[in-house]
Amino acid sequence: MHESQTAEFPVFEVFVQKESLGFHINVGSLRAASPELALQLAREIFFRRETAYNVWVVPQDCIFSSPHDEAHLPVEGMDKRYRLPGGYDNATHWKRFKAKAMTIEEVAKDIRS
Amino acid sequence: MDNLLQGAAHGLMAVIKPIADDEWILGHRGSEWLALAPDLEGDMALSSISQDNLGHAQFYYELLHSLGLPSADEQVYLRTAAEWTNAHLLEVPNHDWAGTIALRYLYQVFDDIRHQGLLASPYQPLTDGVRKIRREAQYHLQHFQTGFEMLAIGTDESRQRLIEGVNQVWEMLGDLFSWGPAEAFLPDLGLQGVSEKVVKTAWMDRIEAQFRHLGLPEPAAIPQPALNGRLGQHSEALADLLDEMTEVRRIGLSAPW
Amino acid sequence: MEDTGRMAAFMARIESGEKIEATDWMPEEYRNLLIKQIHMHGISEIMGAYPEKEWVPKAPTIRRKLALNAKVQDEIGHGQMLLRLAEDLSRPYGRGREELMDDVLDGRIKFHNVFHMEAPTWADAGVIGFLVDGGAIITQAMLLDSSYAPYARMLKRIVAEESFHMQHGEAVVLALAEGNQAQREMLQGAINRWWAPMMFFFGPTQMGKSAEAMMGYRIRTKTNEELRQKFINRYVPRIRALGMTIPDAELRLDPATQEWHYSQPDWELYNAMVRNNTGPRSQARLALRRQAHVDQRWVREAMNAAAQRIANQGSERQSAM
Ligand SMILES: [Fe+2]
Ligand SMILES: [Fe+2]
Repeated sequence: MHESQTAEFPVFEVFVQKESLGFHINVGSLRAASPELALQLAREIFFRRETAYNVWVVPQDCIFSSPHDEAHLPVEGMDKRYRLPGGYDNATHWKRFKAKAMTIEEVAKDIRS
Repeated sequence: MDNLLQGAAHGLMAVIKPIADDEWILGHRGSEWLALAPDLEGDMALSSISQDNLGHAQFYYELLHSLGLPSADEQVYLRTAAEWTNAHLLEVPNHDWAGTIALRYLYQVFDDIRHQGLLASPYQPLTDGVRKIRREAQYHLQHFQTGFEMLAIGTDESRQRLIEGVNQVWEMLGDLFSWGPAEAFLPDLGLQGVSEKVVKTAWMDRIEAQFRHLGLPEPAAIPQPALNGRLGQHSEALADLLDEMTEVRRIGLSAPW
Repeated sequence: MEDTGRMAAFMARIESGEKIEATDWMPEEYRNLLIKQIHMHGISEIMGAYPEKEWVPKAPTIRRKLALNAKVQDEIGHGQMLLRLAEDLSRPYGRGREELMDDVLDGRIKFHNVFHMEAPTWADAGVIGFLVDGGAIITQAMLLDSSYAPYARMLKRIVAEESFHMQHGEAVVLALAEGNQAQREMLQGAINRWWAPMMFFFGPTQMGKSAEAMMGYRIRTKTNEELRQKFINRYVPRIRALGMTIPDAELRLDPATQEWHYSQPDWELYNAMVRNNTGPRSQARLALRRQAHVDQRWVREAMNAAAQRIANQGSERQSAM
């Protein structure tokens, strides 16, 4: 449509990672002529009041997005407690053997200390 | 069960049982693919689907339990082969990946039509469950349909293997649509939408359209069943499956596990 | 010259507790150690799926069948996440998923000794969740502090899932311990089989050169012996509480040092098993992996061809517009 006029800048989606062990999350999008510029501009548009560990800019047309239907999105279907740690009641059983249940948090803390 | 007439409960049980058994056997065979799929990501997807199938079966077995049958675990672990009413094609051992994709795609289309029909039931515990199950089953259909389409247009080898897989499944399709004695209860239960004739016609329409779209050989008519699993007729494969499945449980039928 | 400067800056970052990213400059030795560690970790997760997978068809209750299926799935998932990291690190060498998976079949990468062993009873399926996952949790908790950020990040996800493995394994073991005579004997038999392999699992007290180097780079932060002691300390009282015994007459806590004294596992035997894939189930499990990866290459080729065809159709449609 705009072929005869100046082409529009492409759209980049912006993802930020707040800390080194965090994961990137999408915070919005911007237009820029190049990925390098998009990175520079993201700094001003989204992070004027905060710090970041890392920023990704991704050309919007590279994103393949799911429709909002049940065939594509994780949904709450049947009971899946069997695959959650909270779905187990081992403490009562350990008590019968005069021992205490153990949690992974406690193991991790012990190992990392 | 309070608002259910005794006769209705009997009919409902006859209808729910084969659905439960289909899903259980499917989940069992699907689990045999664990760590054997062609790629890691696909392995995980099939595992989730198997878990879903087993979970659907569990829901139906619990419903049957509420209608008077033994507990879900007892229904699974303490029945002989002749008491199972799954379709025969679901119990045969897994063949190759294309065979599994063919079977699962053909089954999921059937399951989708069956679910739509079941939603007409006035028995709310059933429709509540089916509605939840459908959320997962729609993804299963999508997943196997994508796999089916891609093998069909992939390479000569994959197309050939897929066609072979379809042919193998086709020979055993006979009893999938059958209800056995339960067919007679369908009108009174408001479930004409799942009658053998209705489901078969709707299924054939969808499959023919898909085969035409993919340029696959035109499907033959659905054969008469050699064995009707809905009547408890099964191959040796089911006896072997049950034998293996109950091996541990038999060490202590009423022990804690 | 420049390399020495970069190296010093790199080590300074590591020593100050900073994390290294895949895209950062890193010394060749660091990259190679990471590949070695993460590749072996990932492949071990995948090979670790097989002993428990055997028991999914035989799981004795609906609940156990669901849980074991989900647990095996998680292990494949751990393999997936870790191989992705190893693939990214191997990119400069032009090696990807296909090659990294081929490596285990061709004997170029090894997997943990415990996954070469037999799991002949249902109790073994439980004891794997209890002791092998228990040991893996201890190792992986240490790796949460790894200097390589992508590894530490993935370990967060993995450890969160291990929490379910731990509960599942304990639940199976507790049920057997509360069960009939046959069940308790089955449990004791499995503990007898798995104890020595678990002692080997953590590696020799005198660590090898690459393990030492990994400590230097803070890819890992604890010694083999520290981890083994943590394991013994946690699991001995738990096994004894169940009324089970540990098959080691030498096992005792030194009251002075608070260190456990234990019999040395047969280092030669297990080393050879891992090196040459000569454990009781090594070849059978490699055959299953070959069936999945090599015999079904045609599926991956077909999916790629199909995706290509769909993409071409899409661009044809676009150019027609
Ligand atoms: Fe794992
Ligand atoms: Fe695990």
